[in-house]
Formats: sequence, C-alpha cells, structure tokens
Amino acid sequence: MPSALEPWPDAVHWRPVSAKLITVELLARAVSFVVMLIVLIGGWALQGHWLWPTGIAVLVVFTVWRSVVTVRAVRAWGYAERDHDLLVRHGLLVRKLSIVPYARMQYVDVTAGPIERVFGLATVQLHTAAAASDARVPGLPPAEAARLRDRLTALGEDRAEGL
Amino acid sequence: MTPPGLPPAAEEPRRRLHPLSPLLHGFKTLAVIVAALSWQTLSQVGLERFALVVAVVTVGAVVFSVIGWLNTGYHVVGKELRIQDGLLWQRNRAIPLERLQAVELRRPLLAQLTGLAELRLEVVGGSKTEAPLAYLTVRDAAALRERLLALAGQAAADDPAAPSSPAVPEQALLRVANRDLLISQLLTPQAFFLPVGVAFVITQTVLEATWSFVGIASTVTAMAGVLLQPVRRVLQDWDFRLARDGGGRLVVRYGLLETRSQVVPLHRVQSVRVTWPLLWRGMRWLHLRLDIAGYAGPQNGADKRSDRLLPVGDNDTGRALVWDVLPGADLAALPTSPPPARARWLHPFAVRRLGAGLGPEVFVVRWGLLTRELHLVPYARLQSVRVVQGPVQRVLRLATVYGDAAGGRSIAARDRDLGEAWLLAQQLAVRARLARTPEPLTRNVVADSPDVAHTPE
Repeated sequence: MPSALEPWPDAVHWRPVSAKLITVELLARAVSFVVMLIVLIGGWALQGHWLWPTGIAVLVVFTVWRSVVTVRAVRAWGYAERDHDLLVRHGLLVRKLSIVPYARMQYVDVTAGPIERVFGLATVQLHTAAAASDARVPGLPPAEAARLRDRLTALGEDRAEGL
Repeated sequence: MTPPGLPPAAEEPRRRLHPLSPLLHGFKTLAVIVAALSWQTLSQVGLERFALVVAVVTVGAVVFSVIGWLNTGYHVVGKELRIQDGLLWQRNRAIPLERLQAVELRRPLLAQLTGLAELRLEVVGGSKTEAPLAYLTVRDAAALRERLLALAGQAAADDPAAPSSPAVPEQALLRVANRDLLISQLLTPQAFFLPVGVAFVITQTVLEATWSFVGIASTVTAMAGVLLQPVRRVLQDWDFRLARDGGGRLVVRYGLLETRSQVVPLHRVQSVRVTWPLLWRGMRWLHLRLDIAGYAGPQNGADKRSDRLLPVGDNDTGRALVWDVLPGADLAALPTSPPPARARWLHPFAVRRLGAGLGPEVFVVRWGLLTRELHLVPYARLQSVRVVQGPVQRVLRLATVYGDAAGGRSIAARDRDLGEAWLLAQQLAVRARLARTPEPLTRNVVADSPDVAHTPE
C-alpha cells in the first residue's frame, strides 16, 4: 500500500524518522490522557452522572486507537533530499507529500520539546514565503538534525533568490 | 547602518510626516468611535452627552496623535527605509527595500481635501501592510515612492524583469468605463436583494408602530453593511485606469472618495485570478484580481485590499491584460483537462467544470459551476508543491495537487488521477526550477517524461 504514495520510487531514497518518535508521541499522548482522565474521574466522583463513565470509556478507546495509529503514522513519515528539493511525506488517513525547493527556503527552524529532548530528538522545519508550505521533519537525532539544517542552509544560500 | 564596504553616505536627516497628519488621524478615530458607540448608545444617553463624550474622546485622540506625530519619522538609509514610531514603546523598523512588493498611494476623502496622501508599502513576510506613512504631501509621497521603487529595482538588478529607466513616460493600458462598472455592480446578488430589504424595512415601519427611530436606524445600518457592497465597489473602483510606467511596472489607479494608486513591479505578481460571475455571463464579462506577496490572506476583508487588476471587462480585454501581466499566458488557449470521471463521486455537479493544466509559463486551475473561476500561477512564483490524498480519494485512486504561492494562497488541482497527480507535481517542481534560473533557454528542456527530474546535472 505505501508504495502507491511513493512517487518515482526507484529514484528517491526515503529516509525514515527515528523510531524513538513513537515513544515520544505515546508519552505525550499518555500525559494528555492522564490529565483528561483525572478531570473525568473528578467529575464522576462529584456528580455521578452516567455521562462521565461513558466519557472515560470513549477516552480510553480513542487513546488506544490513536496509539495504535501513532506507531504506523511515525513509520509513514519520511523525507528525501534530492538535488534541488526536499521531499517530505507523512500522514496515514490523509496522505501528504511536500516538495520544497531549496531555493525557496526562507529559514530553517530546529525545535525540541521537553519530551523530545529527553529522548534526544529534534524537529526540523523548512519555511518558505508561502504559509501553506508544509515541510516539517520530526524525530531526528540531534546529529542528523544539525546535518540537515546545515545542508539546507548551505543549499539555500547557494541558490538564494528573492521572490 | 551603512554596509561596511561603502563609504558612509551622507546620512540624510530623519523626516517628519506632514503636520496636518495628527488632525486627520483624529478625525479618523472620531469616525471609528461614533461607529462603535452605535445608535443604541445614542438613544440611551441622549444627544448632548453623546456629543460631549465624542468631543472629549476626539480631543484625546488628537492629543495622542500629536505626540505620536512628534515621535514619528522616516528616512532612507542605504537600501533600507527606516521608520520610527510609537507612543509609549518606541519602535524602529528597518524595511529592506529588496523585499518591497508594491507601493500604494492612498488618498482618503479628507486627505484629498487637504492635498495629502498616505503611502503604504507591501513587504513580503509582513502579515499586514507594513508602515503606512500617513500622511505626506502628494508630491513628497510620489517622490518617495519613485525613490523606493528605484532602490528596490536596483536591489533586484540581476533580475532581468526589472529594468529601471524612469525617464520613459507612462503608457496607458486601459480604462474601465464607469457605465460598465455601474452595470456590473447592478448585476450582483446584493443589488437584486436591495429592493427586498427596503420593502422589509418599510413594511416593518408601517405595520409595527412599536418600532422606534433607533430600531429603524440600526436595521438600516446593519443592512447597509451587506447590501451596499455594490455601492462601495462602485465608489472604490470608480474611474479605474491601468498604465505601464517607464520601468515596465504596472500602475493601477482607481477610486472616487478614496483614490488609490498602486505601483506593482510585474515580477512581483504571484498569481492572477479570473472570475466569471453567474450574473455577468449574459454580458460575457469577467473580472481579474492579482495577488502580491505582501497582502495578508483573504481574512482581512476583501474590500480593503488592493488586488484589483480589472473590476469588469469583456473577454478580449481580460485576455490582453493577462498576457501583459503574465507574458506567455493566453487566457483563450490554456490547456486544462478535467479530472477522471470517477471524481464525480466527490463533485456530483461540478466535475465537468473542474480542470487543471500546465500552460507554457503558468500553472492553471479552473473550477466553479455557477461562478466560474480560473487561477494562474507562473511557475517562477511557485514556492512549494504538495500532493494530498484523503481517505475517500484513496479509494477512488485520486489525489489533489497544490501549488503554493507566496502570501498564503495556494492553487489546487483537485481530484486528479493518482498517476497524473504525481506527474503534475513532478512537472511543477521541474518547471518551477527551470523558470527560476536566469537563462530562459532551458525552458525548452522540459520534457514530459518523469525521469527528467533525476538526470544528474
């Protein structure tokens, strides 16, 4: 199935993102799950309406489903550096592929949230003048993130041009 | 800051805006306040107190404007325009002129009466119009605009599309007849609903004696907001003229109460949108808008933005104009093809009106059953390309290809066959790259084979 989303499969070498991103995403989901669970249990204890346990059940089902999907979603992330552009693909339900030319790059963001930092991961995001451009690569080891950032900046400077 | 290599050019002194500006700003604030207080307040507090409040606030606004005016200044340093302003928090902005997209000279009614003008700069990356310099004398504003554009042109000197020889006189391109403008705005849904609205108010007044003056006034005000849009359009687009100045830039002038004159370098045009409204079809009319990177997205109220290229015109005029603005794009001969028939499941009625195609210089997309629209983005202006496939599209083996242009507007080829979508995306990427490179000869290299992208260079 995923091969249908790969354009020019023989010519593009897709790089996966780190598998540790699965843990990061699961942890982030667990945190929000616990917070919402506490709220719901608190509401149940205080009010005792049947809607509260139903809400808990929905939350549990939703969290389990999202967690299962997360594993596959992280595996679906991929990026590829071509001669002139960066390809990023992601998404399971809605599949997306972005082609961003290096020459169009305005700036590169490297970010790392608290949980990401614990696992030694970072997110690289490429910004163009178009707000709709969507070139975000999460779950990169710091060395790879730095390499990608430097390569993008170098290529961007090489081919820098206005609009 | 002068660049280190150059000798420090005689730093020109910071200049002030025109001394009348605070007064004009004060009046502008007055209008806003009156609108905010609304009819409701007027009826509650009575006329005298209302007038008192308004007077106090106006004086306050003028005082604040005067302080603001004392703190505001601008000057050109090297290739930057520096603007200092701010009342409590001083703000110094340096606007790099190579990022200048368009300059507009606006003259609201009050400014017209006093011989002043407001200069607005559109800079890429700004979410709003950067640095409205309000107000300058018309002569100063025009001179500053010419100077800024000349500096911006120099900055982009390696760009072949920007020769700057301001000595050549302006050449008029077209003028929209006011009669056509009036007719076109009468042929809008709002104009058709106006009699209904008026009848509604009258019957309410006659039948229900309880309706007070305030109630009627509020209703009229509320309705005016929607129904008077055609009137506003007429006032705004009155006496619409297009010209090309010596530097090959587009000069757009229009407006009755508020005149606007906008200078757009042609290589700053990000996309052109063509619309054939349903009610205009009998007249075979269309209207054209252009996108420039500086203007914020569509949420800021379409009336405020200056994106007109042609408020109303027939097909031939539109065709000639599009050819002028995007050389190589012939409105009559754009190759668009519809999506495969199975896209019918997603667009039961409009599938035959959908289309996308690769023109010689532009990516073109059309859609719309009643109001037909056509978007053109030159390959050279494409920022990125995306292919998106939703769950239903996956079942139907379809995908949507987006071309992103600067300034938040994307052009979407909806529901193409998956294989065609990949080909489109790949072609867009390649053509965008070739269009960006200075030598236009390479454009002939674009082949239809998907392998072109990967041949090592």
